[in-house]
Amino acid sequence: MNYPVWEITSTGGGLLIAIIAIAHVFIAHLAVGGGLFLVLTEMKAFRANDNQLMDYVKRHTWFFLLLTMVFGGITGVGIWFIISLVNPAATSSLIHNFVFGWATEWVFFIGEITALLIYHYRFGKMDTKAHIRIGWLYFIFAWLSLFVINGIIGFMLTPGKWITTQNFWHGFFNPSFLPSLIFRTGIAFTIAGVFGLVTAAFTKDRNFQKRLYRYCAKWIYLPVIVVILSGFYYVYTIPESAFHNIFKYNPASVTYIRLFFWASILVVTLGLLFVWQAPSKIQNTGVLLILVFAFAWMWGFEYTREIARKPYVIYDYIYSNSVPKEGSDLLYNNSFLAHARWANIKEVNNENFKEAGHELFVLQCLACHTIGGYNDIIARTEHLTERGLEAKLTGLGKINKYMPPFWGSQDEKEALSAYIVRDLHGKDAVKPGYAIVEEAYYQIPSYDKINEEYVLLVWNDLGMHCISDNDKYFSFLPPANTLWAQLIKRGEKPEIVNDNVVIEYEVEDGYRNPQDHVDFWEYAEKVYGAKLEPGTGLAGKMVYGEMDPTINNAFVAHMIPVTPYQDNGVFNPYPLFTVTAKDKNTGAVLVSTKTVAPTSTEMGCRNCHGGGWKVNNYSGVADKTAMNILAVHDRISGTTLLEDALNGQPRLCQSCHMDPAVGAPGRKNIMNFSSSMHGFHANYLTGMQDDACNLCHPGSPRGNTTCFRGRHKLMGLNCISCHGNLEDHALALLKNEELCYKPSATKIRANLKPRMADSYAMIQPRIPWLQEPDCLGCHRDFDIKQFKHRPNAFNDWAAGFNALYRNRTDQQGVMCVACHGSPHAVYFATNKYGIDRDNIQPIMYQGVSGTIGTNMNCSICHTTEMKHNGHHRNMVKNKSVFREPVIPKPIAYIK
Amino acid sequence: MTPEIIPSPDTLPVNWLWFEILLLVTFLLHIIVMNFILGGSILTIFDSFRKKSFKDEVMTIPTLIALTINFGIPPLLFVQVLYGNLFYTSSVIMAVPWILVIPFLLIAYYGAYIYVKKNGKAHNLAQISLYISTAVLLVIAFIYVNNNTLMLDPARWSMYFENPAGTNLNWGEPTLFPRYLHFIIGAISIAALGKALYYHFSRKADRDTKEKQITSGLKTFGYMTIVQIIIGVWFLISLPTKIMMLFMGQNIVYTILLILGITLALITLYSAFTKKLVFTVITTIVLLLTMVLMRDLLRHAYLEGIFNPADMVVTGKYSSLILFLVSFAIGLYSIYYMVKLMYKTKTQ
Repeated sequence: MNYPVWEITSTGGGLLIAIIAIAHVFIAHLAVGGGLFLVLTEMKAFRANDNQLMDYVKRHTWFFLLLTMVFGGITGVGIWFIISLVNPAATSSLIHNFVFGWATEWVFFIGEITALLIYHYRFGKMDTKAHIRIGWLYFIFAWLSLFVINGIIGFMLTPGKWITTQNFWHGFFNPSFLPSLIFRTGIAFTIAGVFGLVTAAFTKDRNFQKRLYRYCAKWIYLPVIVVILSGFYYVYTIPESAFHNIFKYNPASVTYIRLFFWASILVVTLGLLFVWQAPSKIQNTGVLLILVFAFAWMWGFEYTREIARKPYVIYDYIYSNSVPKEGSDLLYNNSFLAHARWANIKEVNNENFKEAGHELFVLQCLACHTIGGYNDIIARTEHLTERGLEAKLTGLGKINKYMPPFWGSQDEKEALSAYIVRDLHGKDAVKPGYAIVEEAYYQIPSYDKINEEYVLLVWNDLGMHCISDNDKYFSFLPPANTLWAQLIKRGEKPEIVNDNVVIEYEVEDGYRNPQDHVDFWEYAEKVYGAKLEPGTGLAGKMVYGEMDPTINNAFVAHMIPVTPYQDNGVFNPYPLFTVTAKDKNTGAVLVSTKTVAPTSTEMGCRNCHGGGWKVNNYSGVADKTAMNILAVHDRISGTTLLEDALNGQPRLCQSCHMDPAVGAPGRKNIMNFSSSMHGFHANYLTGMQDDACNLCHPGSPRGNTTCFRGRHKLMGLNCISCHGNLEDHALALLKNEELCYKPSATKIRANLKPRMADSYAMIQPRIPWLQEPDCLGCHRDFDIKQFKHRPNAFNDWAAGFNALYRNRTDQQGVMCVACHGSPHAVYFATNKYGIDRDNIQPIMYQGVSGTIGTNMNCSICHTTEMKHNGHHRNMVKNKSVFREPVIPKPIAYIK
Repeated sequence: MTPEIIPSPDTLPVNWLWFEILLLVTFLLHIIVMNFILGGSILTIFDSFRKKSFKDEVMTIPTLIALTINFGIPPLLFVQVLYGNLFYTSSVIMAVPWILVIPFLLIAYYGAYIYVKKNGKAHNLAQISLYISTAVLLVIAFIYVNNNTLMLDPARWSMYFENPAGTNLNWGEPTLFPRYLHFIIGAISIAALGKALYYHFSRKADRDTKEKQITSGLKTFGYMTIVQIIIGVWFLISLPTKIMMLFMGQNIVYTILLILGITLALITLYSAFTKKLVFTVITTIVLLLTMVLMRDLLRHAYLEGIFNPADMVVTGKYSSLILFLVSFAIGLYSIYYMVKLMYKTKTQ
């Protein structure tokens, strides 16, 4: 940000550095190892009085000089040129810190070329012993050059104490100095052997050639042990995060580690050709191949080392894109362009939006990414939507450390995302749109308030259920909607009826064939390990049947496999169930009512992961989206989920990630599902309000489901009011995982900052599904007044599973949820598929929408007048809250 | 001026004058050997036009290229230390031609070897190699002049915003061509002097050849110096008036150096035409030193009010300087030892 950026968008400066540097380094190692090769071979020839060998040394010297002094010398200067063009800030830092290191290297370089020129031009023209002495001096100077440059290169990866002391010697003799020096010295001798083969290949005398080949093979093999041992030592000295970059997280390193590994194997294997007898043609071809593989070996090593340094160019000091680490914190959520010296635009506005995005790309991304070339930004982001890219930028450098963070304001983040998605991908700028939802028709069952003997209260336990709806690739939420019911016999002392009755349920017309609409049954055995008849849910229930009695004075039908898709193609995530209580003996209908079983496939994965909707452009997880999700998981966690899915073996996410919601034990040391999902994504959706929740969950007011629809919504509350901001929500879950010694929880939460608590220490850990926000956190002692002062239930978790709103009862055994309505849809709820669709029971029993019994409607159950707070404190109020019913229209479809 | 876009410099380990002196001394060494190869190549082409046969001194060109590159490293290092914030910026603005210096150097270097090895064996290949080598050396010199002028004039850096792809050159710079020609003509004259010096020390050449070559070298040197003086005047008047006036009496040091330079040039002319080789060589070295100093003062004049390396923060970490000085002493002794070894054993 201090310097202009050379805009080579299609090639990329990194590739140019690589081309010049690797070519140089290959030859530079030859210059070192070859020095010893020359002088030792000359000594061998001299002692044995072997003219043939001496002639070989002379020929090799000329070849050596042309390669090392000319090509090596110029490409060495070339590295300076190219690094100063691609990363002037880091180059400047290196030059200023190590100026006398470079100057010393120059002294050794001039000693090196003086010796080499004398060695070559005076070969055979001066005393051999003196000539050998010149040869030794050449090798010493060449190795000293390596000694110096090795200190500077090592410094870039492991600056060690220099970061705090800025002391030349601390930087130079850095932690990787010694292993790297030994490692490179070993490589240098192997490469000397490889190039020795090249000159030997041009030897006409076949017997002599065989002898030379064997001799050179020794040079290839002898250093191998040194290279391997020092290699391990080298790896041991690099920082932990660099180690993880190479071997765990950065997908780019895989190619080069493999290249290094296989090239090593091939060099060593091919070397055997020259140890043993092999036909001339094979050996000569082998020389060419071993040269290529030795180059690939060098390439693999140098690239791996470079990747280890990411996201820095000088570790812990300057980021790859030239942003100095010191002070970079100030650029978070602040204008980057205003601080970038060479930015043409200083402030983003509507007119310069596109251009600003381009500038940000150049300043922050171009150091590593190109447009259409090496490490292509288009290919890397192709799967992301504009929103997804924004999230990606938010999360950069947090979980996986190989990329620097994005610095800049929200406007700048949006400008960069827009530039990449709209200009580079050429994708539509349109943000996620939604279908137009119209009210669906339903009838309120009739109820004779005077003569009816029973009241049947029915509800869905969660108020919303989602289906992940792409079991071909993965599943974490099956079609599984649980309905509960309590039957109350009216009277002076109403009774909860559990015996001698049957509670039947049946979905409304159009929803009776869920197996025709989702692929759950096709993969149920592979994903859930359950052989299911089509239309039967995981708990054996269908969309019609009988509820089971429970010990809670209630009846339940677990995991009814209802879907939001109707047979006629209409999407309505609020299918109505008719629930009827019958006399078990006579079959006579005691009472019948209706409830919604909210179930949606409006999963927002595609908002970021791209791929569009699966069904009719308004719901479901598309194949492309699912594939991208799995690819990301595979990349980050080293799994093979995508490959497995493509091979017909999709997985249940909870097969590894524990989840009480589906009763999955998961695997040891792996975080539970909710913590993983919220924890991971919180790093990417930081600083948002409830729009962060709505990106994934079907809660958006503009969405097709809008599942948060209870009375709280009308009072201005949203997801955050109870669950906290995404970061808070995630931290509470992660804290529990951290207490359970899950290592990834610590990593994932490292960059999350609580927003609704003063510190991480203040956050109360919680187990998902078993601990949820406690209603009494706001409604202290059932006092509504508390609510006015603290509309925030975050960090106040219900004491346990039985204390959850959906499980709790009053002293008489009536469940809270029976009268107040499902979570997220407490009476009176406002449903976009018909305002009172969720309020059928209150309207049926008391004529208005509201809590069962509101407006002193105790007569629903009690046949005598009631004046006291019989169920809980503060239930009898001077002013009740209710709403007159809204008559539904008889049309239902979605456009 | 647009000072707000000038990158902030890094710190210096030791006082800036250390680097200034090292820069000037090593630049002088670099420029002398550079002149030998560039001017020498041009002279060889002239000789080939005049059907003159292959000369011994040309054999030294590849070795001199090695030395030119080697001696080019320290000034490149020290200019980065003192003026890196300006130099990197101008380099990025003209990144494409700047990086092309590297492949061009390779071409020139290998071309020179091909010429030397193939001359007399494969005439056409040798000649083509020579032409290509010389042409790319001329291009490299032009690129250098572009960068060295662009780094001094931040007002011209705005060209980056028009074209950030690095394909710029400093075309609008008024001193570009006189400055370039000043280097090229200078290179030819110094190479001619170098050729005379080569034959002066040559053990192979007979007396006649020696005298003939020394005379011709000095003559070429003389004529080229006359041309150089004319171009020098063009260069002077192409400078911004404010800077030119510094040399024209407004600043005593600038003016004295200019007068000294012109005087020395006239003296070398006289001594060259009167065939006083050693005197000419010594005077020319002093003249080159004067010109190097003038070039440096010119840089300071351009950067007046923009950047001064003396203002850079010095951290005072001298230990690495000691490392360099010790290794430099050892290096120098080793070179002396090696050269001695080379000749001593030859006589044994």
